[in-house]
Amino acid sequence: MKKRIKEFISDLQDFYLLSFHGLMGVVRRPFYFKDMIEQMDYAGSGSLFIILLISLFIGMALSLQLSAELSRLGLKMYTGKVVGISIIREIGPVLTALVFAGRVGSGIASELGSMVLGHQVDTLRVFGVDPVKKLVTPRILSAILMLPVLTIIGDCVSLFGAYYVAVFVSHQSGTFFWSSIRDILIYENVLAGSIKPFIFGSLIACISCYMGLSTKGGAIGLRRTTTRAVVASFIAIIVADFILTRVLLYVLGFSV
Amino acid sequence: MIEFDRVSFSYGNRLVLNDLSFSVHEDERAAILGGSGDGKTTVLKLIIGLLRPDSGKILIDGEDITEKTEDELRDIRIKFSMVFQDGALFDSLSVKENVAFPLREYTSMTEEEIDRKVRELLRRVGLEEAIGHMPEELSGGMHRRVAIMRSMAAFQPKMFLYDEATTGLDPVSADVICKLILDISEQGGGFIIVTHKVFDAFRLANRFMFLKGGRIVFDGDREAMLGSNIPEVRIFLRELSINCNG
Repeated sequence: MKKRIKEFISDLQDFYLLSFHGLMGVVRRPFYFKDMIEQMDYAGSGSLFIILLISLFIGMALSLQLSAELSRLGLKMYTGKVVGISIIREIGPVLTALVFAGRVGSGIASELGSMVLGHQVDTLRVFGVDPVKKLVTPRILSAILMLPVLTIIGDCVSLFGAYYVAVFVSHQSGTFFWSSIRDILIYENVLAGSIKPFIFGSLIACISCYMGLSTKGGAIGLRRTTTRAVVASFIAIIVADFILTRVLLYVLGFSV
Repeated sequence: MIEFDRVSFSYGNRLVLNDLSFSVHEDERAAILGGSGDGKTTVLKLIIGLLRPDSGKILIDGEDITEKTEDELRDIRIKFSMVFQDGALFDSLSVKENVAFPLREYTSMTEEEIDRKVRELLRRVGLEEAIGHMPEELSGGMHRRVAIMRSMAAFQPKMFLYDEATTGLDPVSADVICKLILDISEQGGGFIIVTHKVFDAFRLANRFMFLKGGRIVFDGDREAMLGSNIPEVRIFLRELSINCNG
């Protein structure tokens, strides 16, 4: 038990060090722009279709559920408002981050893991290249930049899905739906939904890079690495979401 | 000159090298033999500072490298050319980009000069045609040849370190790699090859060290090895008779 705790603390320390050096690589030469563009393409355009698809159906399902429940209470006209707040503040950022972790995070972990096992990371070091700057920094940066973009796109598509159901299934007024959405697009809500993806993106990239670079033990080790990266990212996203929500509600003056 | 002074190294609780001491001159052709997991690759990684020993000293040209930082090790590493098992080519880069990689990192050559240099190196190993191929399209032998050329693209190393250079290759490809290693060595620079293939080791090296239980249990030339009574060495030597009879 004591040994496990010691190992956990040591892992945590290594994780923080790697994350710190990875982030510091943003301001320290050399800069690997080409690698960053490649990673942004993989993380951004590669994830776009799945984010669009999932966001659309989540928006539609949410609208359907809320319309059904709110119409029982005679509050169907609030569907747009409730759906909008749920998507912009909570569901959009979290859902996009979870999909991103499943697709991009697992990809990062398995790619870096196979590079470790194939001695490619050692080869970089032999050539005098810092693997953290070459491999970790571009991935952290691309995740920090692309996840917010994907979240905004996902939010828009979710709202369109919700609008479709509200108007064509639940027979609500489209004009009223959009005016409700416009009402909730206030600074506090937008800020609450915009900060989260930056944090989630850095968490996913740092966790996945750390897991990938600490891969040991062949194909089984690689499988374990990928699973651990996704599970740890999911847990980190959910826990960070709660903490961020609590802090943001307090800072932005919402009463709970 | 490489000098190991009572070096111990372990992976977690598993002691791999135990008070290991030996020295190799830069013009020697040395082979480190031993079974899987006996620490042969670990020795190479320790030489270029990819791993740090638990205790003991590793001296390169009289300089202790055990406490050096990554930046300081850069000067040590350019003295060597390391070729990992399976070549360790970068999967995401083409053959050309793989060979050009150290040129871009270490030199200020123009794209035209890099292209010329890469073609020249690949021509030397008969792979100019494969310049645009991706590593996944290459055979095991081609992988190793590209890796060897990549390792010496940017600078002329004092010594070459080969990790299982012929393991997993068919006899024809292994023969090509052995000839290439000898060819490079004749142009200057010794090497250390770690392998468990005695037949190839005998073709390439003139000094043989046998690693067992974290220590060198045999160190000598070909004749001494052939006459050795150490049971593990005798087991390895059986491969020779299989190859010769076969």
